[in-house]
Amino acid sequence: MRRWHRFAIPLGVVALVFAVTGVAYSVNEPDPSDPEFLSPISVDGIGGQRLAQALADRGVRVERETRTPDALVSANQGDATLFVPVPRVVHPDYLAMLRLLPPSTRIVLVDPARQALDDASIPLALVGRRWAARAVAPDCAVDEARAAGPAAALRQRYKGDGVHCYDAGVVRVSWQRADLIVIGASDPFRNDRIGEHGNAALATGLLATRPRVVWLDLHKLEPPPGVVDEPGSSDGVPPSLGEDPRDGEYTEDGGEGTPGEEGDGSGSDSQAGEGSRDSPSASDVDSENPLWNAFPPWFWALLIQLALAAVLLALWRARRLGPPVTEPLPVTVRAAETVHGRGRLYRRAKARGPTADLLRAAARDRLTQLLAPTAGASLVDAAAAAARWDPEQIEGLLDGPTPESDDDLRRLQSDLDALVEAIRRAR
Amino acid sequence: MVTGRAALLLTLSAATLPLWPSPWLGLAVLTGGVFVLSTVDFVLAAPLRDVELTRDGTRTVRSGETATISLRVANRSPRVLQADIRDSWVPSAGATPAVHRVVVEPGSAVTVETSLTPTRRGDRPAVRLTLRSHGPLRLAFRQRAGRPATPQWTLRVLPRFDSRRFLPEKTARLRTLEGSTVTRGRGQGTEFDVLREYVIGDDVRSIDWRASARRSDVLVRTWRPERDRRVVCVLDTGRTSAVLAGTEPRLDAAIDAALLLSALALRAGDQVDLLAVDTAVRATVSGGRHVLLPRLVNALAPLQPSLVETDFELVVGEVLRRERKRALVVLFTALEPGALGDGLLPVLPRLATRHKVLVAAVHDPLLAEARGDPYLAAAALRTLGERDRVRSALTRHGVEVLDAPVDTFASRVADTYLALKQAGKL
Repeated sequence: MRRWHRFAIPLGVVALVFAVTGVAYSVNEPDPSDPEFLSPISVDGIGGQRLAQALADRGVRVERETRTPDALVSANQGDATLFVPVPRVVHPDYLAMLRLLPPSTRIVLVDPARQALDDASIPLALVGRRWAARAVAPDCAVDEARAAGPAAALRQRYKGDGVHCYDAGVVRVSWQRADLIVIGASDPFRNDRIGEHGNAALATGLLATRPRVVWLDLHKLEPPPGVVDEPGSSDGVPPSLGEDPRDGEYTEDGGEGTPGEEGDGSGSDSQAGEGSRDSPSASDVDSENPLWNAFPPWFWALLIQLALAAVLLALWRARRLGPPVTEPLPVTVRAAETVHGRGRLYRRAKARGPTADLLRAAARDRLTQLLAPTAGASLVDAAAAAARWDPEQIEGLLDGPTPESDDDLRRLQSDLDALVEAIRRAR
Repeated sequence: MVTGRAALLLTLSAATLPLWPSPWLGLAVLTGGVFVLSTVDFVLAAPLRDVELTRDGTRTVRSGETATISLRVANRSPRVLQADIRDSWVPSAGATPAVHRVVVEPGSAVTVETSLTPTRRGDRPAVRLTLRSHGPLRLAFRQRAGRPATPQWTLRVLPRFDSRRFLPEKTARLRTLEGSTVTRGRGQGTEFDVLREYVIGDDVRSIDWRASARRSDVLVRTWRPERDRRVVCVLDTGRTSAVLAGTEPRLDAAIDAALLLSALALRAGDQVDLLAVDTAVRATVSGGRHVLLPRLVNALAPLQPSLVETDFELVVGEVLRRERKRALVVLFTALEPGALGDGLLPVLPRLATRHKVLVAAVHDPLLAEARGDPYLAAAALRTLGERDRVRSALTRHGVEVLDAPVDTFASRVADTYLALKQAGKL
């Protein structure tokens, strides 16, 4: 019992520490799917209202967009910063369109995952992730970072062509035509952390290089871009992003239509082909299982009713007419069990010597009892005289060598029995 | 709770589903219908609290025979009681039938009978009654643990007393001993009975010359066997009594022998006391000459071996406390070196100086049959040797030792008693 405690208590304490740490971490970790997360209108701890206010104070106009197409259209007009706090929820087709934004637009992605980087064809790789953001010196040639000084920007680290700041926590990539900044930590933008270190300077610095910020306040997965069949237009006219279909009206097969691009962009067919890789989950939700229509409705009703009947059957059988009755049982061991056990032990140990000794001693006792009145001389002689056996044979029986095999032992036993029997009969 | 009929109804009615204009409506209607019918049936079932159960019947039965216990089911509710009743006894009570099906009209009662053929000696209790009250359609039933309350009953299964068959023979020998059946010659007893006048045919050696001198007649002494002696049967119910000797526990063989001895001693005019001890006194009968056999049987019936080491100190103390006069103490136990050597031998002198002690041990007949296999024979011989050592150690204290196989055990115990009586050693 105490031994058990000796291991259980320290292990339990360690397990408890781990559990508490894990729970606290997951509670403190901001959830990007939370509508409050880095929203310019949220005053919550994980919101971005203080950042939006700081930007407004610096004369930067903040445009909040809740749909990616709108944000893209707005950013496409140039001289803007497209701020994407949650790249994970942006549809891959829209991510692919980021490269088409004009050079005067800066893109800031917060903590993009590998999938998002791949979807946007950004040549960056993920190298290591910390548990929490850490404040480090910028140590790079980006002006905004140098102006901000140490900031809590080191969390997810990236590797690739570009200027690496904050120990690779912030990377500025001159990618395609756009000016792209990837930052691995959301802390510098959050209300509760923006006051620490040089976070405020870094955040505003990154976003305030253009006169306006297009803030994509998107926290849920959105439908892919689709095609609108405009009644008036003929085939082949690329639909425009501005007339993006509303939710649910997109076509089931993305390859049917060419996802549109902005007017001045050089819409290439190759990119349109990528648009066909839309999410299959969205299309499966509303389509019916073909098995459903393979059978008539009464079949399904019958199935359900039989299942209900089976439940009733189980209920009926589960209720027993009284529990089983217990009773202590008598001992079933025979009194001679120890004798049998000892005999088996002798056999297994091949204890021929002790066995023969016991048999001989017993026979000797018996002979002594039988021959007691005439036992003037030796027992062997008396026995030989009484049984009319050869004295040497009796000598060999009573004092002979240890039997070599089980057969010898058995023979010895029967001979001894025969001797005792002969003398008993002679008396 | 629903019965299988509700499930069956639901299953059969499912076949009509293709005929319904809307199968889903059909499903709802049929399932709801079965549900409503079952609920109505449940409500219409006779309530359990208005059922009263009482038992009657035999209290004791001899092992191997059949007893009948009747169960009266009274229905006080205004509804008809359709019930399944499971009368649960312990398995060794051999109760049949297991389940009774009764229909009781409102305000009346029905009696059902359970016959019990117990397989073992001892007390066999009725454990539980479970009542399931069905509705009129038998779609649903009411059943609840502990309702109605189980009427208690215990059937005492008496030992078979197989050795009764020896009793006439032993009694005849006792009579011979007393001289009542041998008309000529004096009885072979050793106790002086009475002086009477000499009649021709009397043994002249029995003439009491001194008494004759005081009277004008020739008087002879008559003798009779010792009477009004005390016999104490002590049964060891410890661990050694639990093992099987032959087909039944050693304790059962001891009980059988103790009953034969008691019956014989009572006929011989001796007083019989009885004691069953392991670590505590389990049964005791003491009433001197008024003790009758049924009381002994009743006291011995519920004895069960306990898996503990017998406290022989307690045994000796109890016997010494109860028996002031010299008595024959018959100790039914096993000749085991461990149990007797450590427990009995140290305290035996105290007992042996006051009383005549007979240690009666029954052994498994298998021990004598250990032939053919030399190893087994050697093991048996070794055990016999150990037993002989115990026997000689006991004999040194002036204790009689009887070690017999189970089939002749009771008879040998009675013979030893008669021999002791004849020798006047009581």
